[in-house]
Formats: sequence, C-alpha cells, structure tokens
Amino acid sequence: MKKVFEWNRKKISYIEERIGQTQWIYINGKTIQVDLSLQNGRSRKSSAAKSHNLLHAPMPGKITKILVQVGQNINVGDSVIVMEAMKMEYTLKSQIQSAVISLKAEVGSQVKLGQLLVELQKESK
Amino acid sequence: MIMKKFKRLAIANRGEVAVRIIHACREMGIESVLLHSEADIQSRAYRMADKTICIGGPATAESYLNIQANIQGALAAQAEAVHPGFGFLSENSDFVLAVEKAGLIFVGPSAYAMKTVGDKVNCKKLAQELGLPLIPGYQGDDQSISVLMKEADKMGYPVLAKAAAGGGGRGMKVIRRSEECQEMLESARREAESAFGNPTLFLEKYLEKAKHIEFQIFGDSTGKVTHFHERECSVQRRHQKIIEESLSPSLTEELRRKMAEAACLLGQAVNYQGAGTVEFLLEGNQFYLLEVNTRLQVEHPVTEMVMGVDLVKAQILTAQGQFVISKESTRQPHGHSIECRIYAEDPFKGGIPSTGLLGQVHWPEGPGRRFEFGFDQGDTITSYYDPMIAKVIVWDENRPRAIEKMKQVLKDSVVFGVQTNIPYLIAILSHPEFVSGKMTTKFIETHFSEPLKPIELNDEEKALVQFLTQKKSATTMTQDLQNDSPFFGAWRNS
Repeated sequence: MKKVFEWNRKKISYIEERIGQTQWIYINGKTIQVDLSLQNGRSRKSSAAKSHNLLHAPMPGKITKILVQVGQNINVGDSVIVMEAMKMEYTLKSQIQSAVISLKAEVGSQVKLGQLLVELQKESK
Repeated sequence: MIMKKFKRLAIANRGEVAVRIIHACREMGIESVLLHSEADIQSRAYRMADKTICIGGPATAESYLNIQANIQGALAAQAEAVHPGFGFLSENSDFVLAVEKAGLIFVGPSAYAMKTVGDKVNCKKLAQELGLPLIPGYQGDDQSISVLMKEADKMGYPVLAKAAAGGGGRGMKVIRRSEECQEMLESARREAESAFGNPTLFLEKYLEKAKHIEFQIFGDSTGKVTHFHERECSVQRRHQKIIEESLSPSLTEELRRKMAEAACLLGQAVNYQGAGTVEFLLEGNQFYLLEVNTRLQVEHPVTEMVMGVDLVKAQILTAQGQFVISKESTRQPHGHSIECRIYAEDPFKGGIPSTGLLGQVHWPEGPGRRFEFGFDQGDTITSYYDPMIAKVIVWDENRPRAIEKMKQVLKDSVVFGVQTNIPYLIAILSHPEFVSGKMTTKFIETHFSEPLKPIELNDEEKALVQFLTQKKSATTMTQDLQNDSPFFGAWRNS
C-alpha cells in the first residue's frame, strides 16, 4: 500500500515492508533494501576487510567443483570453487595471493548464502 | 487424425508458463492438472490449477525431468493430454514417446519432428540437404575433450560450446583462447549434464556482430505449416535472452520473406505440428540457421501481441485436431511489442542470484500491458530452478512508444523480498544502441558487462530511508501500526 512521507513541505509517496532483517523501500521508481543487522553492529566496510582471508558463498547453491587443495598456493584471480545456482555455473576466484588453510565445503553439498567455503592465508611478499 | 476436446490436461512444468497454460485451459473449458515438485507448493500455478499432483522432490532430476513421474502423475489425475511448457522435458523426444505409449496426447510436435529438427546435429544435416545457410561447426560423435579441443583450434577462436540437448543459455560457453579451452569445455559439459541430463556438446564458430532473429512457425491440424513473423532477441547475457521484441527493427521486407521461407521449409520437411521457433543469426544481409526450438518459447507473448493470436490455445486446439490456419484468421503484424524477463538477481553485484521470501509484489496494470508471473507475496524463490520469476510485456503502436511504455511500467513495478534485474532492464532500454535498434548479441558484453553503479539517493529519499530504518531498529513492532494510522503525524495512507 502506498504511503506518503512529507519532507521539507514536499510529499513523497512510497511503499515499504520489513522482511526479516531487511527493510524494503520503493520510492520514485527505485527499490532500496537496507540490511538492518548491519546498521546496528559494525559497518559493512570493516567486516568486508576482515573476511578477505575467508571465501564465502555469495549465493545459496550447490558446490560442483573444488579446484584447490589444502596447502596449495594460489594467485589473485585463480579459480577456487565452482558453484551452481538456478541452473547456472559461477566460478569463485581468489581476491588475494594466498595459501589454502582449509576447505569447509564438499563437492555436491548445498550451501547457504554467506556460508564459509575456504579459509585462506594471505602471503606476504 | 483425432478430433476430440480434452476434458483434462496435465501441465509438466512450473512457474509463469504453468500459469499461462492454466489460463488457456480455463478459457477453453479444460480442467488443468499441475504436475509439481515438493518445492512448488507455494506458487501461483499450484493455487490456480484445478488439480495438483506432487511428482517428486525439489531437485529437477526427481521431478520436472523425471519422465516416469510425470507420466504416472498425468495418468493418476486421468488427464488426456500433457502440455510440457518450455524447458525441462519440452524438447525430449523420449518423453513424447512415453506420453504416447501411456495413451496420452502430447501437446507439441511428433517425436519424429522433435528428433529431426530439435536435435541440433540432425537439424543441421536436414538444413544442409534443404540448402539452408549454416555456421561452420563440429557435431561429431567423438565427444572426448581432446577431440573437441582440436576441433575448436581448427575452427579458430572465438568458438561457442553448446549442449546438444540444450537451450536457454545453459551449458553454453564462449571459448576465446586455446589456453582456456579445456576448462570451459568441462564447465559446459557439467552444466549440460545437470540441466538436460545429456553431456553431449557441440561447437560452432562464434559470430561477433550478429543479431538474433527467430521466426515463429506453426503447423496446424491439416499439416499446413505457416509463420507468425519474427522476434528479435539480440539482448542476451551469457546466451540467456533478456529483452525480446516483435517485429525486429532490422529486417528489410526481402530478408523477412527469405527467412520466413527458410523457416517454413524446415517445418514442412518434418510435418511440423504446433508451435515451433526457427532461430537465425543475422550478420549484415547474411543469415545463418542457428537451431529449432520444438516448443513454445518464453518470448511467445510478443508475437501474440502483434499478431493477435493465442499460441497456447492454438497448440491445444492443434493437439485436439481442431486448429486450421486460414488467410482470414491471420492478420498482418500490427504495432510493436517488447518483453522484459524479470530475473531474481542482484544487478549491483553482476547478476548473482537472489533468493528468498517474496514480500509485496505490484504489477502496474494498464492498456497494452501484460504481466506473466508465477509467484506472489508469501511465495519463496529457491535456488533449485531458473531465476526468471516474471515477464513484463507491452504493446504500443510503434517501437519508440513501446520502449517508453516499458520503461514506465518497469519503474512502476514493485518486487520486495528478492532483488531483481529491473534497474538493469531500465538502463538497457535507455541505451542509445538499443533505442536505435542496431544492437547485436554483443550488446550486453560491450555495454553492460560491469555491475550497475549503486543507486544514488537524493536528499528526500535519504531522509525517508533514515526515518524508516532508524525508527524500526530502535523501537518495536507497534511502529507498523502507527505508520498505517491516518493520525500518525507526517505519515498517512494515500
């Protein structure tokens, strides 16, 4: 249902809904989503920087191929894991030059959004 | 030839196409039976169908790709015919044979026609005999990766690897260099196996500046094969169509006539029955046969809008032995129609799939607008199936007006709960190359390979976001009630 927000004597109509931890807002032809869990805790930036050594699933889906082994050294852009979601394949690549510390997923397993897949250790050079 | 009105028809599909078929059945006084997986109990088709039968688990191999489960379901429901929709088993000739063996009628072409023109290898052989122009390629029986690699090297890069049983961009990869050939072939093979249950690949020389033009052919109950003009589907990402239109802005009358003739020739050669699509690539004034899809297409509505036909009803009538195409019943194309596919994906992160529980969904109804969707508020979009959750179709008197209408319709559409490609579609429709009608299949790769830039908010929008999010996270649920209250300060219903 459309609602009206008045701001600086202007009327803006919008639609909003909260689903789980996400606030959805439709305004002026745009749909905006705000993750409320991120608002309360640490900012998005710091948690992203921290997770550089961890490879997470960017979407829910199935692991179809693991291209690295524990102990292996990998370069920036190397393919690490192949996932399938909605019938399409996606290749996850390493953002950093690193060594593989541990594998947290198996080929054929269904993973959730954000699930940890691979632990990496950054190589200082 | 049989001539019998069906009492009950089974739908071996899901999502928006299942809804489309249910609509046709209702209008024709036929009861619909939805053969669905466990995952699709929360879907529009499930709620709309007269009867529903669960045929297996969420994984496609257990349900939508399981021939016996579909047959058993259709028999249990005492259906007389099976409509396969598109994707899944719609182009599987073994399924057609199994349907017929069970004493049911398949809504679509014969198994023979499907095997001949639906199989890419056989189709090319037939096309060669008929003298139709083909793209150089490899369709050999030797499917070892090493042989495929050698053939790719021989053709010269770029080379396109495709699933022999496929469609819809799945199991397709463009290989640009010899070094990446092996990895790409293996990936294409896995996709082919998973999506179609058949790992066979074939290769063809990849045309860099081609347009995708396809002709809607139709074989009626008397065996006459004709066409309902063309669609252009050059706006594709990873070989998945995103925007389709009819007619094509690029065909001269002469090309249109020649391509239509070629398309009908293929259909006539196999006594094609029902709806089919002959796909071509057009580079300059030269067209090449790409493949034939022996089913209804996702983009069939744009043809329906400009030609004034109902292709799904025509399919069912043909299966009943009652559809005759006559000059009087076929009109000249009128106006212009565009379809946009709404995908559940994040356009700001390069289109990674977005899944979840759907919140509010609003489609802005109006003249010349059509919405085909399979899910409503409260339904869940899962990662088991295709990311296409809806299609938006518009018609207007000419192409520029249709583009403007589509942009407005998309801006007025609301989907909460999953992210969609709507902002991406609006950006494409606004691009000068699309507006000029000169786009090729390289369009997306050239202009839209990067994720969209984040939405910029003006001050009033920022103020609203801040107001809504801070209020909600700081206090309790009662705020929701207050928001809806006409007495709540600056907030009121409109």
